[in-house]
Parts: sequence; structure tokens; C-alpha cells
Amino acid sequence: MTRQILEYHPVIGYRFIPNLKARIPHEGGGYLIQTNSSGFRCCHEFKTDPTPFMKRVLLFGDSYTAGDGVSNGQRYGDKIEALANAEVYNFGLPGTAPDQHYLAFMEYASKIRADLTIITVLVENIRRIAARYRPYQNEQGNTVLFSKPYFTLINGSLELHGVPVGREPIKEADLPEQSREFVDTGGRFASLRKIMNRVGLKDLTQRALHYQPLPEYDDPQNSYWLLMRAILEKFIAAVPKPVVVMPLPLYQHVEGTADPSGYQSRFSELADSNPCLVHDPLPSLLKYSPTERRSFRFAQDIHPTPAGHVAIAASLAPVVMDLLGMKKVT
Amino acid sequence: MSKTVLGISAFYHDSAAAIVRDGEIVAAAQEERFTRRKHDPRFPKNAINYCLEEAFIEPSELDTIVFYDHPLLTWDRVLKSCISIGERSKEQFTKACASVLGIKIWVQDLVRESLGSLGKLDKLLVTEHHMAHAASAFYPSPFESAAILTLDGVGEWATTTVGMGEGREIQLLQEIDYPHSLGLFYSAFTYYCGFKVNSGEYKLMGLAPYGEPTYYDLIRKNLIDVKTDGSYRLNTEYFGYLHSLRMTNERFETLFGGPPRNSESRITLREINLAASVQKVTEEVVVLLVRHARKKTGCDKLVMAGGVALNCVANGKICRENIFDDIWIQPAAGDAGGALGAALLVSHNYFGIPRCVRDDGRDSQKGSYLGPRFQPQEISAFLERNSYPYERVISLENRTRIIAQAIAEGKIVGFFSGRMEFGPRALGARSILGDPRRKETQSVMNLKIKHRESFRPFAPSVLLEDCSEYFELDSESPYMLIVAPVREERRLPTDLRQALRNGVDILNVVNEPRSDLPAVTHVDYSARIQTVNPYDHPDYYRVIRAFKDISGYGVVVNTSFNVRGEPIVCSPSDAYRCFMRTEMDLLVLEDCLVWKRMQPESHHDSTWQTEFELD
Repeated sequence: MTRQILEYHPVIGYRFIPNLKARIPHEGGGYLIQTNSSGFRCCHEFKTDPTPFMKRVLLFGDSYTAGDGVSNGQRYGDKIEALANAEVYNFGLPGTAPDQHYLAFMEYASKIRADLTIITVLVENIRRIAARYRPYQNEQGNTVLFSKPYFTLINGSLELHGVPVGREPIKEADLPEQSREFVDTGGRFASLRKIMNRVGLKDLTQRALHYQPLPEYDDPQNSYWLLMRAILEKFIAAVPKPVVVMPLPLYQHVEGTADPSGYQSRFSELADSNPCLVHDPLPSLLKYSPTERRSFRFAQDIHPTPAGHVAIAASLAPVVMDLLGMKKVT
Repeated sequence: MSKTVLGISAFYHDSAAAIVRDGEIVAAAQEERFTRRKHDPRFPKNAINYCLEEAFIEPSELDTIVFYDHPLLTWDRVLKSCISIGERSKEQFTKACASVLGIKIWVQDLVRESLGSLGKLDKLLVTEHHMAHAASAFYPSPFESAAILTLDGVGEWATTTVGMGEGREIQLLQEIDYPHSLGLFYSAFTYYCGFKVNSGEYKLMGLAPYGEPTYYDLIRKNLIDVKTDGSYRLNTEYFGYLHSLRMTNERFETLFGGPPRNSESRITLREINLAASVQKVTEEVVVLLVRHARKKTGCDKLVMAGGVALNCVANGKICRENIFDDIWIQPAAGDAGGALGAALLVSHNYFGIPRCVRDDGRDSQKGSYLGPRFQPQEISAFLERNSYPYERVISLENRTRIIAQAIAEGKIVGFFSGRMEFGPRALGARSILGDPRRKETQSVMNLKIKHRESFRPFAPSVLLEDCSEYFELDSESPYMLIVAPVREERRLPTDLRQALRNGVDILNVVNEPRSDLPAVTHVDYSARIQTVNPYDHPDYYRVIRAFKDISGYGVVVNTSFNVRGEPIVCSPSDAYRCFMRTEMDLLVLEDCLVWKRMQPESHHDSTWQTEFELD
């Protein structure tokens, strides 16, 4: 038995079931999750007014931020909270991307007064923003699809589609051929990846072939990047300032098998023309030994381990403390 | 300082986990409910996961973890028993080696590997098997002091113990050791009559009232020597379990006139009378042991645990004999309860947590509703995610009325409400409910819901305050562990035993009404009673109360929420699947009502027969 932890949401697509306490079995032994009454995996109830003598940080992201694989207190957001003595409102939602994070902000956080906003972008989500459907295995063990909200970029302006999000599952077979490219299948070469994962050769194959997971970042005019950039610009413009954008590298980048320069250049360009600070944690992560870096993800699950979260927090904390005007802790 | 202890029982049958914090039971559950494998004996990683969830702590925050059985003492028994038998024990020895040496002695490593921690003490504690049973019976009981009787198949060496509990201390005063075991004695007849050992004992008990104890003398003369203090010795020449994987041997078969019954063949008068005979012997031994426990301890209260304590017919007899002023039986009396007992024992005995007996005279078992609960929002999310049509009735009053009305109209209702039960009985949290007044309820529930033909009637859940109107029982029976007679004025005359003697199939007579509560009245006019009070599970109490308002009867039929061979449902998903596999009319998932008539045809499911091993 694994508890269902997500429920339908008409705008974002889904959110956590509110007021949930659960322990999710996992290869790491299992982890505790706690959600608040707004349906986010956050130990704080969201309040609009400031808490006296306390700085407040809004944190957006996907499963890396929500903390798949680790308990609430072990996430980098919670570590930052402890280091900076601030309250971090964690809006992380697994399986989502900046398009849905922006919508989550508009739905739940636009009235919240905060001292800092952190927008975490798992760099792979450049693909997820273009997706319109997410697969899910139903009670009968069949894969069905659920719609998600999505933006398109037409003549430089963003247009939101698919809201309210459809409640009904869609059978894979019923999806028109031309829509199939919009199913979120994770990284590149989904079928091949599945096979390699099954036989345990994924890492080895990727190393041998010098696999580059994200060619979308190679060209500043790539349509995926242009969409990502437009969404982030809209997001940055809307949230409380200052704003930190943190591109989170994939494990291939952390373990030195993939070239990060593409995404690093794109995010650097984003920072140049927007009122935000881009914090790239990769340089500090690369300072750890290869063995330590491997320990930042689980044996099978690629999400950060508790050690991975500590490393991300260690990289981010000085930036947060600077921006909050707090004394650095050494 | 607060102390949180995780107890684990595993590797025999029905593994489980329990968490106790400062002596208070926080959670307990059987592994089978999560894995969907009946009596799952494997390491209870899912049950542990649930217990940690309920306590909301990390494994490293546990003060300690305790295993309910001493692997080295078990090994000692296996080795010595096999040596004493010699080469004939090869088969048994091989199996025992695999169980003890293959898994049990590595249990500490297994726990560490599974949880990543052994808790703050950084070592696994172990208790003795019958000590864990004794603790599970005494500590949650409402008694400051009590005599303790534990009876099961076998632990390390002990099979039967008499002890005493006082405050937070437990002492085991006497024990009977393997191979002399009342549990194995009963299981041998279970096996011989064609039922599954470790689960079919219940069927044998249900079969007994149809028969006459015609084999009583034969059993007493040849198989078991019982002394006046209840101590007994088995004649091991008749039993196969010492040296083989069978419970009985050729000598046993010769004594009772042929080979064991094939599980799918018709039940004959031989099995029926054997059931009656072994039940009579068992009751006799248990009553003698209970008398002895009274004499030995001087206590006026008794607590019981161990698999034999699930024999609710014997329990009813103990009650009626008035040997003790009051009796409390651990509802998870089998090995699952060992997890709870071990955790309680360590809390009170090792950590010295004071034991608090409640002022109101109630026990600390919390109605045995110690398993997972699902919030209404989780349930609606599940139903919506899968597009299952439902209606949400938030008003408790309206919902209760709808459910009661459905039962009164003869509909069969799957009732999923609150925390799941710990122990083998469904007590209104994961139950299927029906109208006890209707003659057809029993056959409908058996054939269309349980997918079986059964000679056992269903159990009644009766409002505590109305119990004496229907049954000759003057004490509470909240855990469905006591059998008592239906009141004489409610009985209808029948001559079913004569019909059986005339060769009529048992299944043809089982549905004949025997009282104005036909669905719950056994052939001997007995019923396995659950009294329902307003405190332990208020929503269930309200349903029965509302049924009484409509029908005039404060009783409903309560059977476990599962199909044949399936563990009782745990999650909304299990419940929906079971609902769609049967002809239940209404599924109540907390405040969500799921009507069968509203469900899409495509969701109907008949795969249960291949999914569960039939019992």
C-alpha cells in the first residue's frame, strides 16, 4: 500500500492532498512527508502577513525541491531555513515545471509578503514545459494520461492553455497521433532509457556514448528555450524581489559526464536582462570528490539523497543570507 | 524522557509491527494487509513503514527495536528435537534450518538493512515468544493485576504458560514445552479434516456444533493425557509434525479410520464429529488450565493470548464457568500480537515506563483500531483519479441514515471507516454489513460476496446496551472473541443434527433459520458476538443505532471485508477492488458513498480467483 499523495487541481493540474502525514516506502528506507492545508509539502501554513522578526522565502521547484526520497526536514529548503533562521515556504511539486510553478504562485502566493523568492529550475524541465499530458498508471495497471496546463509562445507573447485542467484520464490509445509528442516522457530516448535502466546499463552507456541530455540549451533561439525564458521572465516579474533563479543540474552534470555549458550560458543571459540573480550550484558541487558526488543521488532513484540536499543547501545558503541581509554562518 | 519502541514479529506466520510510545500503543498492523498475501510471514517492512508513519518518526529516532522471539532458543529446540528423533526428522530439520538459520538469526542485520538504523540503542532486543504473548495480554488489559494464560502452537520451547502480571511486572510461573502443544494438537485435527493449518482452525471450530463428540473417548485415551491441573502430554506417536511436514501420521489415520479429508471434498459425518470431539477436549483442557491459573496466582482476573485464545467457543465456556471475575483476551492473540507484546514489554520492563491502568475500567487497546486511517480527502482524490462515480455525504447523520436504510432493505454494504483493525477480526472499520433478520442474508453473503459455501454463520455486531436482549451474555465482547447463546425465546425449533445423521449435506441445512436473527445464529443457537460501544468506533455505533431506529433491531451482520483467501482490505483501493469483485450494493469509504449501480461495467472484476490462494 502506498498512499495517494496528490489530488486534482483545476489550475495547476494537481497538488498534494492537504494536511497529509505519510511515510513513503523508498529505496532509501522510506521518508516522511507532511503537507499543509494549502496542499504543499511545507511544514508552515501559508500566511500573507509577515511573521514578526522572521524573514520569509518563497521557494518554487519540482520533485527536487518538494523532496522526493527524503523527509521534509532533510530537504535543501529546510536546511536553508535552519541556516538562515528564516521561514521557507516550499511550493515544490513533483512532476511539474516552471509553467506550473508560476501558476502555483498566482494561485497561492501572489498575496504573500516575502523577503526573497527562489525559483529552482531542474534544467531537464525545459522539456516538461512543452508537455501537455503526463502519464499515470491507473488501478487496472494501465497507463493513462492526464492533461496539464501549458503555455505557448506566439509572436513573443505567452498564452495559457488547458485551464481548467481536464479531470478525466485519457487512454493512451485515444490520444491523436499529432498530440503524442506532447506526452511528458522524461528525458531523451525514453524507450531506450527504459531498456538500459532495466538491464542496469544506463550509467555505463551514457558515459560510453558521451550522452548529452539537453541539446535544447545549445542554441539561444531554440524554441524550447525561448518558451522557458518567456515563462521565467513572466514569473520573475511577478514574484516578490529579490529573486534567485537556481538552475539545478542533472546528475550527469554533477558527475562530470555531460557538458553544462549550454544551460549555463542560457541562464547567464537570462540574468543579464532580468531583475534576478542566477545561482548555479554546479561549481560548488563539482568541488566534492567523485565518490561524494555519486552519493548525492540514490542507487536507483536520481533524486537527491539527504547528502545531496545538504550540498545544494551549502551552495545556496550564502546567497540567501546575503540577499536577506543576514550574517553568514561559517 | 519519552521512549518509543518498535516491535516486530515475523518468519512464522502473520508477521506484524507495532509502535509503543511511553507505554501507549500508537500503531499496530499485520503485514498481510499491505502485501495482500494472507498470513504473510515475511519481514514486515510495510507494516513497519506504516507504524513509523503513524508515529511520524524516523527509524533513527526510535529508542529501540525488539523482535518477539528468541532465535537462538528456537534453534536450540529445533536441534534438540531433531537429534532426539534421529534420521526420521531429516525433512523437518531441513525446513527448520532454512527458517531459523536462513532468516531468523540474521534478523538484526535485516532490520538494519531495511530501516537504515537500529534506533538509539543501536542493537536489536529480543524477547521470548510466550513472554511477548503474555505482555500483549496483560499490559493493554484493564487490570492492575491478573493471571496470565498463553496457549499456542509453539514459541521457542514453550507452548503453554501460566503467569501473573502486576503493575509493570510479568512473571511466567509454569510452562509446558514442545512437542506437547494444545495448539498443534488442534492444528493436527484441522489438517486431518482437510482445512489449512494456521487459518482453518477457525473452520474446525465452526464445524464442531454440527457434530457429536463421538471421538472424545478415543482422543482422550490415545492422544492426550490431561491432568487435573490442566497440564497435558501428547502421545507423539500419533503426530507427524515432529519429523515431517505433515501434522498427522499413519497411526493417526488408522485410529480415525482413513486418510485425511481432501480439502475440496464433501465434509462427512466423520469430520463433523471429529470437530466436535477435539473442540470438547480443547475446552476441557483450557478450563482446567484456567482453574489452575486461578489457584496458582490467586488473582481474580485473567488475561489470555496465543493462537488458541482465538477459540471463541472455548472462551465463551471460560466466561460461563465464572472461574474469574473478569477476563480480557488480546484481540491479536496470534503471532501478530507478539509484535505489540514485545514493544510493550520493552517499554515497561526494560525502560521502566510506569503502566497506567485506565480509571474508567476500559482497556488500552483502543478498540484494536490501530491500523491506517484514510482521510476523506484522500479517498475522494483516489475516486476522482480513477473516475469512479461516488457521492459525498458530509453530514454524518444523513450518511448514517442512508447506510442503515440500505442494510434494512437487504442491501449488502462494504463499510470502510476509521483506522483498520489489528488482529484477525473485522470490527466495523473494514467490514461487510448486512441485515441479520433476513433468511437470505447468510447465503447471499456467502455466495455472492465471499464466493464460498460455508457452514459457519456470520457474526453479529450488537449495541452493547442491547446485547442481553438477544444473547445470553452479561459481559462486553468488543473483539468478537466470545461465543454465547442466542436467547431461548428467540430460537426456532430445528432438528439439523438428525438431518445430518440421515446423510443430508451440511451445506443444505446451514441456511435453515434457527432464530429471528437467522444470519448470525449457529446450529447450536450460539453466536460469535461483537458488542459495540459508543466510544471505540462512534461512527459504527451510529450505523447500528440508526438500523435499530428503522428495524427495531440493534444488531447487524458483520463479516470481514474481503473475498475468500484475501486478507482484509486495508486501503480505499483494496476496498474498491473487492467491492467490484463481489455483489455488494454499496461501498462506504468514509464520507464517500459508492453505489454499485453507478459503476461502469468495465470496472467489474472477476480476477480474484486467480489472485488469492483459496483457504
